[in-house]
Amino acid sequence: MQTVLNLLEVEPIRLLVSFGAVLFLVLNLAAVLTMAERKVSGYIHLRFGPNRVGPRGLLQPAADVFKLFTKENVSPGRSDLWVFLGAPIAMFIPAALVWLVVPFAPDAVVADLNVAILFFVAITSIGALGVVMAGYGSRSAFSLLGALRGAAQMISYEVPLILSLLGVVMLTGSLSLVDVVQAQGDTIWTWYFLPQLPMFVTFYIAGLAEVKRVPFDLPEGESEIVGGYMIEYSGMTWALIQAAEFASMAVISAVTVTLFVGGWQPPLPFLDLGPFNWVWFGIKTALIMFTFQWIRWSVPRLRMDQLMDLGWKVLVPVTLIWLFVTAGAMLVF
Amino acid sequence: MLGEERRAEHEGALTEPASGRLVSPDIRDEFGLETIDMNMGPQHPAMHGLLRLILELDGETVVRCDPVMGYLHRSKEKISENRMYPAVIPITDRIDYMHNIAMEYGYCLAVEELLDVEIPPRADAIRALMNEFGRIMSHIPSIGFLLLELGAFTPILYAFRERERIQNIFEAVTGARMMFHYIRIGGLKADLPEGMPETMWSYIEGLEKRLQPDFVDLIEGNEIFISRTRGIGKITQEKAVEMGLTGVPLRCTGVEFDVRKHYPYGWYENLDFDVITDEAGDVEASYRVRMGEVRQSIRMIKQILENLPEGEVLGDLGRRLRPNEGDGIARVESARGEYAVHVVSDGSDTPYRVHYRTPCTVNMQLLQEIVPGHYLPDIMPIMGLIDPVSGAWDK
Repeated sequence: MQTVLNLLEVEPIRLLVSFGAVLFLVLNLAAVLTMAERKVSGYIHLRFGPNRVGPRGLLQPAADVFKLFTKENVSPGRSDLWVFLGAPIAMFIPAALVWLVVPFAPDAVVADLNVAILFFVAITSIGALGVVMAGYGSRSAFSLLGALRGAAQMISYEVPLILSLLGVVMLTGSLSLVDVVQAQGDTIWTWYFLPQLPMFVTFYIAGLAEVKRVPFDLPEGESEIVGGYMIEYSGMTWALIQAAEFASMAVISAVTVTLFVGGWQPPLPFLDLGPFNWVWFGIKTALIMFTFQWIRWSVPRLRMDQLMDLGWKVLVPVTLIWLFVTAGAMLVF
Repeated sequence: MLGEERRAEHEGALTEPASGRLVSPDIRDEFGLETIDMNMGPQHPAMHGLLRLILELDGETVVRCDPVMGYLHRSKEKISENRMYPAVIPITDRIDYMHNIAMEYGYCLAVEELLDVEIPPRADAIRALMNEFGRIMSHIPSIGFLLLELGAFTPILYAFRERERIQNIFEAVTGARMMFHYIRIGGLKADLPEGMPETMWSYIEGLEKRLQPDFVDLIEGNEIFISRTRGIGKITQEKAVEMGLTGVPLRCTGVEFDVRKHYPYGWYENLDFDVITDEAGDVEASYRVRMGEVRQSIRMIKQILENLPEGEVLGDLGRRLRPNEGDGIARVESARGEYAVHVVSDGSDTPYRVHYRTPCTVNMQLLQEIVPGHYLPDIMPIMGLIDPVSGAWDK
């Protein structure tokens, strides 16, 4: 036993093992999130949601995964097969990689990079590639439209997303996510979402657009382009796309929590749980994800031009102005 | 492909703001820009039934939109010629399956005109009563569908809860949940069951209370709903009249025309109600008109229930109907617009010819006219404005 634990102190092995653990977490999270999504939608729609498989329907995700594994992978006759099959992987890997730098608790982070925020920004941009690959590889007008929308949307919303991060970076003076959390302190009013409120809202909205959730689910647009870039996928390839979507939704929530809502820090000092502080991180992330789902089932979808208007004419100016305000405030105080 | 000529015709027909979004064909040629042809439907999950749209897209902008009908053609007019007069009623049920009580109503009125018979007043009142329930049952899901097309999933489930409850009422009254076959030539299949007026009254009271929180509050103030529907699918009054639109697409441009008001039939003479109109003529206006009509229907149902006449519901017409030679015409206001039936008799026991003028067929012409120049996602809200039913446009 001791030798096994000693092995963990060898850096490459520790990295591998902890990344394996995180990957396990991400894959299971996707399953849990599909269940949560269906239950939340059920309660909003005044119906039960899945309640047949297992106690209170809790084994539904397992049944879904089993069903998806047994399904055939259909690929369109004239599709570009390598691009078509590579797209889900290209979507899933970035979503899983970001988890490497997310601190669950003071010591529970796979890699405490000193440029973690840069890593997050760089990796999330790759997600757009998978969408374009899926749309191009499927060889369908609907897929292509979805992919073009997806690329335009994800690249446009990258700008406010990054700009809204900068306020936090200026306040902390560090690009490490662990430092960001530590700088926020263990009281709710010292967390960054209060002094950086416009940035927090912008980050939230841009994050919503980045993970293509309603009201920004234009690349899917199920009522006009019927699923967009994922229209031709079936079986496990489709499941992988779904897993990527849910994983990136979870990762955006986790990063929002880390940057603005104090990460693992308890809301008040006496609520400090010591080694169990990751519970706070979990609760906050789950709350943010719940608001994502709440929005998902309440509002209609925007149109492409309105989406661009919101991104470039509202979010970008707001973040720029607030950057100046933050800089000015830092000079004065 | 219908060729350059057709496209030019469409581009010429565009209104100012819409055409501003289009790249002109010259520029398109100069820079070598290409348009995509896209087939939407007939198997499209968000399409109202089986409609195929041939679209020419310039990016997200629609350059040309050709609706192709006929995927649900079931030759109802021909079938009607081969059945005895009473046996045609179930066929009419399947025309507009969202508001099918009006389809029966129109046919029975036309045959009654042919036969020149008197309808017992109680039958008349119950016909109007069920017709208005049918209208609510059609309008509320229409609003839900509009929101579903905009990407909001919740209102449709609330709408279908209401439809479900009205279907329960229909099941108790007529014995069927969708294809009622309730209105008969000369009256009705059966009287209301015992206690039914009270059940209806309590349902209507409940619906009136639920309309505000479940629909109006959820939909009307929503910023995204407004930005997606205001100014979309704009129809001018002249255009609407010129194209022969009826129903909500006509009334939402501000033309006050409702068959129930202006050419009253059956019990509608005795009812006090308003014709809801709106000036804007866009998708948002159509939502408001539908919502207003639901409220008017509630008002009418209350009036009918308050003084429901007593008596028989089916006159004695004999076993076999053999009308004299001649023809009968009836027009009724269905949830989608003016529905007219023309029945021609040659003296035998089957009709010589039956023609159904369904509003959907006429209103669908709008698609060709107003869709070009809009963005692709706007097609679905415009379909929500027209709210066609594929059984009705194909017959």
